[in-house]
Amino acid sequence: MVSIDLVFFIRSLLFPGFLFILLMSLFYDWVTRKVEARMQNRVGPNTAGPAGIFQPLADIVKLLAKERLVPHDVRSLAFTLAPVLSLAIFIFTLFFLPIDGSTTLSGISFEGDLIVILSIITLANLFLFLAGWASTNAYSKIGASRVLVMFLGYDIPLVIIALTPAFLANSLSVSTIATSQSIPFLFLIPWSFVLFLVTLQAELEKDPFDIPDAETEIVGGYETEYGGTGLAFLKLAKDVQLFLGSALVVELFLGGPYGPVYFDMPALWFTIWFILKVLFVVILGEFIANIFARLRIDQVLSISWKQVMPLSVVSLMATLIVAFWVLPIIGVGG
Amino acid sequence: MNDVNKNLSSMILEHFGKDTVQIESLKPGLIAIHASSEKNRDIIKTFLDADDEATLSAISGVDLGDSTEVLYHIRTHGTIVTLRCIVPRNKPTIASITDLIPGANFHERETADFFGVTFKGHPYPKRLLISDDWPEGVYPLRKDAEIPSPETKAEVLPEEEMTTRAEGTRTVKIVIGPQHPALLEPERFLVDVDGETVTKVTPRIGYCHRGVEKATESRTYMQDVYLVERICGICNSCHSTTFCQAVESILDVEVPSRGKFLRTIVLELNRIQSHFLVLGHAGHEIGYDALFQYMWRDREIAMDLTEILTGNRVITSFLAIGGVRRDLEEKTKPRIMEDLKKLRERAEFYKHLFEEDRTVRMRTEGVGVMDKKEALSLCVVGPVARASGLKIDVRKEAPYAAYGEVPYELISRTEGDSWARLLVRAEEVLNSVDMIEYAVNNLPAGDFKIRVPRRVAEGESISRVEAPRGELFYYVKSNGTQSPERVKIRTPTVTNLYSVIKLTEGGNIADVPAALVSLDPCFSCTDR
Repeated sequence: MVSIDLVFFIRSLLFPGFLFILLMSLFYDWVTRKVEARMQNRVGPNTAGPAGIFQPLADIVKLLAKERLVPHDVRSLAFTLAPVLSLAIFIFTLFFLPIDGSTTLSGISFEGDLIVILSIITLANLFLFLAGWASTNAYSKIGASRVLVMFLGYDIPLVIIALTPAFLANSLSVSTIATSQSIPFLFLIPWSFVLFLVTLQAELEKDPFDIPDAETEIVGGYETEYGGTGLAFLKLAKDVQLFLGSALVVELFLGGPYGPVYFDMPALWFTIWFILKVLFVVILGEFIANIFARLRIDQVLSISWKQVMPLSVVSLMATLIVAFWVLPIIGVGG
Repeated sequence: MNDVNKNLSSMILEHFGKDTVQIESLKPGLIAIHASSEKNRDIIKTFLDADDEATLSAISGVDLGDSTEVLYHIRTHGTIVTLRCIVPRNKPTIASITDLIPGANFHERETADFFGVTFKGHPYPKRLLISDDWPEGVYPLRKDAEIPSPETKAEVLPEEEMTTRAEGTRTVKIVIGPQHPALLEPERFLVDVDGETVTKVTPRIGYCHRGVEKATESRTYMQDVYLVERICGICNSCHSTTFCQAVESILDVEVPSRGKFLRTIVLELNRIQSHFLVLGHAGHEIGYDALFQYMWRDREIAMDLTEILTGNRVITSFLAIGGVRRDLEEKTKPRIMEDLKKLRERAEFYKHLFEEDRTVRMRTEGVGVMDKKEALSLCVVGPVARASGLKIDVRKEAPYAAYGEVPYELISRTEGDSWARLLVRAEEVLNSVDMIEYAVNNLPAGDFKIRVPRRVAEGESISRVEAPRGELFYYVKSNGTQSPERVKIRTPTVTNLYSVIKLTEGGNIADVPAALVSLDPCFSCTDR
């Protein structure tokens, strides 16, 4: 059984596991910074590596090399563990997504893992809340309470909309949903895709929903007291969260890692398609983030309960119509 | 003395009789009332009752040796009436007028800081501008004040507001400033928050007070022009213009009309770059960074124009007593016109953006609403007042430089919220571009400067300029030497800033930056 162990280690630690996920997260972090800078008529990172591509890595390395400071009033255990745990959970969740055609570990996928993924994402948000709550700082506490209030607003619509592709694919397994998209669901249920992108912006705390860390109001929000390694882990967790969120969009709406053209070595082509599709979603998200002002927390709640929530229910019903009457006619789907 | 002033002085005389008040006329066409210090409230109340739009412009003090003069500058019927009350040095007490005009709060505290005048009945008689470790009983603007060396520090008493939250309440205290991402300069706002709702705001300014008013007294008039210009990097030409106008009025000299037109051009360029700066900064405060970066890029056009005109981008050093220091060269006119065209295009785009963009409106509409009456009682000036429906603008009510001749349009709105305050500025930029275009095209021939004597005869005068943030007020008193006896500088932010309490209390914590930025607070003006 030596060879199986070796495959297990390579797949979980190198590709498409831990290392690949980290590197891709840093890459997409660079993409967002570059896109944001260009949209704002700036240059963006341009020093570390070609076009500044190593800047996120350099930032993390710098932070890791710094002294670890724990303010004496904080709840020490939660303050230390929260960033590490949220990073670990986000990476773990990515193991469920088929990246090179199959999930990171063979057999990890099961019927209903979509539900697990969604609930784990919720849990990870709780850890971000904990990070703020553990630091005894007014800015952090307000930031932390905003994480929870935001969560009240967008989490339910997010789950409802994430379930719409499941109806089309007739499965609650992410791998099955990805494989059953001979036509990407984007084209079948574009309304769901748009709604999912909007709620994803809220999930990722990006403009117009970057309320928990609105710097002009509450400085750094829940990360105010963090520095050094703690901040490095928080930043990495946010990067992986961006990768995870965008990857989820790819799996649910853009046909997963399966592309229109591929040649020999399908695993390589699957990966390339996957990276490109995630890149598309990341750029789209950054585009949305840059053309809006930041909303207020009460406005987010009222928008999400009065508009997004009813719309997502309507979108679910429209999807059911597509799934039961339209798809059999045109003969696609699960 | 014009008709308005005649009416005003006869009104005062009728009311109080010759025994209580004496009236003198000041240049240019201003009147001053001498009265005893017990009558200050009555006289001010008479003015407020007689005119719906009367309000306080500034309070200043002058050290007369064994007594201190407290001057109330009241703005009524578009002019300034000065009420002089003399209080003895050994018992400097005068009744507070904060219950008549709440906006007098900061002005009274400032006078108390610098002259040791006690305002009886002031609701919050604490230090405003001088630091907490400044020794008790040293009042820096008194002529005989012994300024302590930097090492001398008094014991700082802990402020009771800073203590942690009281038991049994749900209020959390948030400190915005002195160092905070929303503020570019060090000032502090202590915000009490219940959940996300602001219940109380306590501002404290003076973190980088430089004592410019004191410094002017030991420099010559010539040097003071450069000194007051450095009070604020943004509205620098406004400061030097106001000072020059005050000195010119004491000297009784008239600036040649080419000089006046050039002054108008540089003042309007100041306004354009200042408004672009604050509108961009507003974008940053409400989380719209793309808007911020674009506006600051386009602000560079105005900076370039300033450089063409004056040779400097930021601090222009363009003004001189008696005119300006440089002429506009004929060959630069095409370039100026081309840049103005670009500037107008961009300004139109931004005006459209502030009118139409949904998220910008969501964040600023209905935030920090101040109606006309409140605006008057809080003594706000400039775009802040005009956004609340007050039609006040020095450029209209007392035209200086070339403002009587260039096409000017008073822009005001009635909403009184943050959105209106920003939109008024966006529209004013377009008006400024028109004025510059007219002034450049119709620049009169002739001298741009006249020579003036260095020694200024005894006298005093008031000068007002509509700076980008509102009415900038100078009171200059000369004593016949090369240096002024007293220069009082009341910047628009000092008088606007007090309204932040009204604008933010009861609102959302997320609205504090949006309300604050709509005042366009310039703390380097405040800490002059």
